[in-house]
Amino acid sequence: MTAPTLIAVTWVTPVAGAILGASILAPLVALWFLKLRRRKRVVSSTLLWTRSLADLRANTPFQRIRFSWLLILQILAVLAIAFALAQPEAEGLGSTGGRHVLMIDRSASMNALETVDADGKPLDPPQTRLALAKTAAKARVRELLGGGWFSKGASDVMIVSFGLRAEIKAPFTDSIGALETAIDGIAPTDEVTKLAEALELARAFTSNLNLNDARGEENLAAAGPLPTLELYSDGRIADLGTFALREGEGIVYHKVGATSSNTAIASMSADRPPDSPDKIQVFASLLNPEPIEKRVTLQLAVNGTVRVVTPDPIVIPAAKVADGEYVAGRSQAVFRPIEQASNAAIEVAIVEDDALRDDDAAIAVVPPARDLSVLLVGDGGFLLRTLLSGLPAERFGTMTLGEYDALVEAGGAIGWDVVVFDAVAPKKLPGGLYLFFGAAPPIEGITAFGTHQGVYPRVVRDEHPLFRSASLDELSVSKMTAVQPDKRFQVVAESPEGPMVLTLDRNDMHLVYVTFDPLDSNWPFQRSFVNFVANAIEHLGRAGDSVIGRSLAPGEAISMRFPQGSSDGEIRLPDGSTQKVAIDADGNASWGPVGLAGLYRLSAKVPGADEREERLVAANIADPLEARLDPRDSLDLGTKTVQGVSVGASGRGALWPWILGLGLLIVVLEWWYYQRQVRL
Amino acid sequence: MSAPRELNKLDDLLDSRLMAKLDSVDVISRKIFSGKMQGERRSRRRGQSVEFADFRPYVHGDDLRFVDWNIFGRLDRLFLKMFLEEEDLSLIIAIDSSASMRVGNPDTFDYARRVAMALAYVGLVNQHRVSLVSFAGDTVERASNLRGRRKAAEVAQWLLRRKPEGGSGFEQAMRLVGTSRQGRGVMVVLSDFLFPEGFEKGLAMVAGRGFDLFAMQILAPQVVDPSREGGITGDLLLVDSETGTETEVTVTPELLKIYKSRLDRLCGALRAYCARRDIVHMVVETSTPVETLMLEYLRRRGLLR
Repeated sequence: MTAPTLIAVTWVTPVAGAILGASILAPLVALWFLKLRRRKRVVSSTLLWTRSLADLRANTPFQRIRFSWLLILQILAVLAIAFALAQPEAEGLGSTGGRHVLMIDRSASMNALETVDADGKPLDPPQTRLALAKTAAKARVRELLGGGWFSKGASDVMIVSFGLRAEIKAPFTDSIGALETAIDGIAPTDEVTKLAEALELARAFTSNLNLNDARGEENLAAAGPLPTLELYSDGRIADLGTFALREGEGIVYHKVGATSSNTAIASMSADRPPDSPDKIQVFASLLNPEPIEKRVTLQLAVNGTVRVVTPDPIVIPAAKVADGEYVAGRSQAVFRPIEQASNAAIEVAIVEDDALRDDDAAIAVVPPARDLSVLLVGDGGFLLRTLLSGLPAERFGTMTLGEYDALVEAGGAIGWDVVVFDAVAPKKLPGGLYLFFGAAPPIEGITAFGTHQGVYPRVVRDEHPLFRSASLDELSVSKMTAVQPDKRFQVVAESPEGPMVLTLDRNDMHLVYVTFDPLDSNWPFQRSFVNFVANAIEHLGRAGDSVIGRSLAPGEAISMRFPQGSSDGEIRLPDGSTQKVAIDADGNASWGPVGLAGLYRLSAKVPGADEREERLVAANIADPLEARLDPRDSLDLGTKTVQGVSVGASGRGALWPWILGLGLLIVVLEWWYYQRQVRL
Repeated sequence: MSAPRELNKLDDLLDSRLMAKLDSVDVISRKIFSGKMQGERRSRRRGQSVEFADFRPYVHGDDLRFVDWNIFGRLDRLFLKMFLEEEDLSLIIAIDSSASMRVGNPDTFDYARRVAMALAYVGLVNQHRVSLVSFAGDTVERASNLRGRRKAAEVAQWLLRRKPEGGSGFEQAMRLVGTSRQGRGVMVVLSDFLFPEGFEKGLAMVAGRGFDLFAMQILAPQVVDPSREGGITGDLLLVDSETGTETEVTVTPELLKIYKSRLDRLCGALRAYCARRDIVHMVVETSTPVETLMLEYLRRRGLLR
């Protein structure tokens, strides 16, 4: 006979259990005392009493429940204790049990300065919303893991910060120090707010679902209850409504911030007018997210030097709600063209102070005034050579396909702004600006699978710059390359058989592809062909400017190409600090993602040059939603609406101690009422 | 609440003032009974009183003194003149001496003894034959055939010796009374009629056996309405005075309502039972003064005149 096995028992919440036990024992003991306190009384006969009691006990429940405050109080007490046993936890206040994912918004709007806290007390000095969120998150971590009567030692907490992209700052752990360090490490950004990726990231870490396992669903079920998601944000989330909470998934929305004072520069453009390339024309669009009219003064700076200040304030109308839709007030500002032949970083800024400074300025990098250089690669087609040589270009050259391939293979600098392929396709295509006719470019995302005969355009995006004064109505093509592009390509003209004109815009490459050789069509006999080619060169040239000095949105990465053999890459951030940037053998340099809006200067040592070559990249807040600072009171997540709780608002997540207290109070009340009633 | 005063002497049971008032009161019987000896009460029998009853033809052997000679003169036939016989009345007073009577303020048993004394006195002064029966549990004690005012002290002593204890024994006592051959008459039962075994069998022993029966249900005010001062309130352990049975009671308005309803049903059942058997049922609260009871209430109910 084997000895009985001893089972080790672990008490998870011994104190809470003791409280519960006492809460049930106390009323029991009280009732027992009540029972002992019955006074003896001799009566002539208990005959009537026993029959009356029998009536009361036996007959009453089967007839109707008679109203009795004692009964009501007892039911309330039992319900309260039962609720307490179920350990309810308020979503609005957050729970204390189980696992928690703290998701902290680090988008642009979280850089808004708050002067008062959630309780209306002044903050001195003012703090950003991100700082408030971090403070609240750290307090929450201590609340969850710091012990105390109602905390659970088994809680694990994960920290996720999110803007355009989400990032796990700390995986599930119960180390308060690690979590606080992770929270402190969340840096402010000027990114837009997208929550979906953060949710996916949190879900990926919180379910043990193995998709390769045939019993995946069982594994998911075995993973236990889903963790509580706790969101620290102002609720201005760009992709709200594109996702929904899953079954059993709970989210707590800690609302951060209270201020709404803000004006922003929604967008700006700086271009050289075609007729005066030495000048720069600057436009700015201003945005007012508040429901009151604003007046702002703008200043325009070129390479850090203020050149223009608007003499009169610019009026931005108030935001309004039209047909249930919120519409921010907008106003346009146009500056007189300024003389600036060399490249320049143009900054337009709002002079007046507001809660969010990051969106009060926008920067555009304008390349120096110059014409493009164009290279024609092909077997000496007369038509395109004649046409391109007639365009206003800095220089024009031709090259055979073999020469081009050899040059690319050797890794030499191409040295041309736009390369036009006349019905030929190179073996390899480095980053750059390209116009292809006929043959498909050798890049990922497009597949040629034969030819189509006798096609004509059916759908043409006439508003596209390529078709400015270049109508394809009369076009008839005898033979066209059949291609299957992926989503990265944009089809701007297509026939019933397939795409006819496509564009591709990548960080390092911009490309226009005409899927047929003009000689296989009647296009050369039409004026639209000349206009199309000129438009394409100009379009690619503008894109080339942006490749060099285009504006990025925070969250995106900077990708530059320096001449082959460049080295000692370095980037100077808007705050003046510098960081090293690696440059590969082909001269490609990447850095990012860009966190804050501002001007980034990427430089490298170029072979054969004494000075470092510098490229400018401007990063501007891209989403007008970030300018709207008034925090959302609630979040609509699919079918569920989550009410926000201001950070700093007092209150503990677990409700059961309070409900238990209420139950005990009701028991006391019931006892008092009973005593009062029996004293007739 | 003051403790009930102990009854020790005749004056405690029946004071001289009430005694004087009761001298002019007599017991009425709805029935005419045969007595045992000549008395002051009209009898069913024809006898020698001065009150004419009837005529009948003369038969051989009749007393010639009762022949109506005037009729003989007119009709030439002999008719015998008949007179009502006046005999004594038997008054039986049955008093419940069970422990259940020792409750209330005033004490139910003391009240019952006072009423018994007053009734007995009325009977004695009117030359009726008064019998007293005390029943409790298995014990039935009797004081029979008392007659004349001078027996009042004896009745009082007998009543003062009675102590309320034990169960009711109602059925047994009534069987004894009903089967005795001491003569029919007016019978008054003084009890609370709260018998665990019920009152039906006991009353059935005497109902329909020639008694002019009065069931006087004596209840303390605290029994009628337990919510009165000194009554049943609060969280109590009730002890049955007869059986010792304990009952836990939490007195609530709802329970009191049911209790009163139960009491009404019990009294109603007793009343209905008595009505079917030509028994006069009376409910008397011990708060009613004995004088009021004797001189007003019992007169209205036809027991006294």
